[in-house]
Amino acid sequence: MIKNPSHPKKGHIKTRECKFTKSGIEYIDYKDTELLEHVMNDQGKILPRRVTGTSAKFQRQLSRAIKRARFLGLAPYVAENLR
Amino acid sequence: MSRSYYELTYIINPVLEDDQTKEVVEKFTEFIRGNGGEIDEVDEWGIRKFAYEMDKKTSGYYVNAYFTAPGELIEKLERTLRIDDNIMRYLTLKYDAKMLRHRELQRKNAVPAVFLDEEDEEQEGDED
Repeated sequence: MIKNPSHPKKGHIKTRECKFTKSGIEYIDYKDTELLEHVMNDQGKILPRRVTGTSAKFQRQLSRAIKRARFLGLAPYVAENLR
Repeated sequence: MSRSYYELTYIINPVLEDDQTKEVVEKFTEFIRGNGGEIDEVDEWGIRKFAYEMDKKTSGYYVNAYFTAPGELIEKLERTLRIDDNIMRYLTLKYDAKMLRHRELQRKNAVPAVFLDEEDEEQEGDED
């Protein structure tokens, strides 16, 4: 990430990796609400990629799955407190 | 006539009596069978609370079905679902290769876990 070997931040910055790629999962199911809750904040918003480190490919799948779950009442559109 | 694998989830009005609910599920299962579809699995989740209020109701009776069917069936099925007053919502998905592989894993109960326990994750971070 930082090429300069004497950069003061070197060694401090965590390189995040996509948890979905790592686990080898291929499809994100909208019925798996437990998993979806992990990528939503307590207001029910979808967490951004910069927070979760998800790859673009899975972020797209995630947003699709969350929106499907919302339509079917499995996940909230807006919530005061999810957990 | 191409056949594909589909998944259908629908929500039945929760105020119906048990036998009425059963009738509705039966009706759609039979509808799929009678129109050239082949049921793989019908999973009734039962009454489940919604994450938000929907049509002034706080819960609904969920039914999740998997079936193989010709494409023409879906149009007919969705029309019937839309007309039926007891159906609050429905969602049909056509399965592609990835989803089929996922379904196979689901059946074997071998879907890879994405989020492990929080503590484990932190330990991994320390090792790095």
